[in-house]
Amino acid sequence: MKVLIADDDLISRRILERHIQEWGYEVVSADNGKKAWDIINKQDINMAVFDWMMPGMNGVELCRKIRNEYQKKMSRYLYIIMVTGRDLKEDIIEGISAGANDYVTKPFHPLELQVRLQNGRRIVELEENCLRLASTDSLTELWNRKKIFDFLTDELSSGLNRKHPTGLIMVDIDNFKKINDSFGHATGDIILKEAGRLLRKTLRRRDKIGRYGGDELIIVLSICPHEEVRIIGERLRAVISGHTFSGDNHFHKITISLGGASSENFLHVSKDELVQACDRALYQAKEKGRNRLVMMNTSPVEGKHHPERNDFS
Amino acid sequence: MNPKENTKEHLPINEQDAWERLGGDKAFLEELINIFCEHFEKQTADLKKAIGEKNYQTIREIGHSLKGAAANLSLSPFRQAAYEMEKAGIEHNLSNAKKTLLLLTHEYERLREYLKKKNAG
Repeated sequence: MKVLIADDDLISRRILERHIQEWGYEVVSADNGKKAWDIINKQDINMAVFDWMMPGMNGVELCRKIRNEYQKKMSRYLYIIMVTGRDLKEDIIEGISAGANDYVTKPFHPLELQVRLQNGRRIVELEENCLRLASTDSLTELWNRKKIFDFLTDELSSGLNRKHPTGLIMVDIDNFKKINDSFGHATGDIILKEAGRLLRKTLRRRDKIGRYGGDELIIVLSICPHEEVRIIGERLRAVISGHTFSGDNHFHKITISLGGASSENFLHVSKDELVQACDRALYQAKEKGRNRLVMMNTSPVEGKHHPERNDFS
Repeated sequence: MNPKENTKEHLPINEQDAWERLGGDKAFLEELINIFCEHFEKQTADLKKAIGEKNYQTIREIGHSLKGAAANLSLSPFRQAAYEMEKAGIEHNLSNAKKTLLLLTHEYERLREYLKKKNAG
C-alpha cells in the first residue's frame, strides 16, 4: 500500500515519513502540490496525506483536481487525508467538500493518524475488491467480457497513437459440449479453469486474457505484429494439446481451435472489425478439423478479411 | 492551571510532549530541532524582506509555516508568536509584524540557550 505525502514543511514531512513507514506503508513524498500531482499520475498511489498550505498548488486545489480529473479517468480510488494546521470548522468543511476523505489537525497525535490511515486502508482494499469482482470472471478468474473489451479498446487506441499493432486471438475448446455431456458440468468447469490458467501462464506479461462466453476465451496481445500473433497462437495450441487435465480424478486430453489477427497492416481497424476477423478465423479453424490456428489478414476495406492457408494443425 | 504546568508552559520546549509525539526517539527530535534552527535563520531573512516590501501574503505564509513547525516540536511560546505573525499577515498589520519578528527572534534565542544549557549539563 503506497502513501503519498505532500507537505512543504520539511519537519512535518520528516515526521509523517518516519511514522507512516514504521506502520508498514511504502512512502513517497513531495514538497509541493504540483510535484504531488505528477507523482499521482505516474505511480500507483493508494492513499495520500496532504498539507493545506503549499506553494504552487495547495492541498485543497490538489484534492479538487484529483476528484475532477484523475478520478474520472482512473478506476483506482485515491483515499485522501488532509493533515493541516488549519483547524477552523469552516476549514474542515472546505477540505472535505474539496474531496478529502478525512481531516486531521496539526500537531497530530501519531496514534490518531495511524487509526485514520487504517480506516483509509480498509476502504481502499474494499474498493479494490469490488473492482476485482466487477472485472473478473468468477469461474476462470480471467478478465470478464467487459474488461477484456476495455483492454482491447485501450490497446487499439494506444497502438494507433504510437503506431504499433495490436494482436487478438479467439480460443475455443474443441468438443467442450461432449466433455460436459460425458463427465458433467463440474468436470467441464475444472477443464475450462485449468485451460485458462495454462494459457495465461504461457502469455507474455503484457498480454491480457478474458472469458468471451461459454468455453470461448479472448486474448489481447499488446504490441504484436501478425507473425508474432501466429507464433504465440501456435504456442498456446501446443501447450493445451500437450497437457493432461486431471482435476476430477480422470485423465482428459483436450485441444483448442484458435482464430488470430493483428492490426499490423491497418492500424485504424476497429475493435469490432478485429473481433469479427478472429471470429471468422476461429470458425474456419473449426471447419478445417479443429486443433489448429487460422490467421486472418485485416484489410482497410470493411468486411474484407483474408484467411491464410498456412494454418497449423 | 497549577504552578507546575505554568512553569512547563513557559519553557521554550515541552520535551516530554515532543518525545511522545515522535515515538520516544531522542535522536530524531534532535535532528528535527537542527532542521528547525537552520530553517529559522533563512525564514527570518525572508520575513525581514517581506516586512520591508509590505508583502503580507509572504508574511502570512512564513508565519503559518513557522507555526506548524513549532507545533510539531512542542515549542509552545514560539508557536504562539508564529501565530501572531500569521495573523499580522492576514490583517495587513505591519507594526504587529515588526513587533512579532522581535518576539520570534527572542523565543528562538531562548530555545538555543535552553538547549545549550541542557547539553552542557
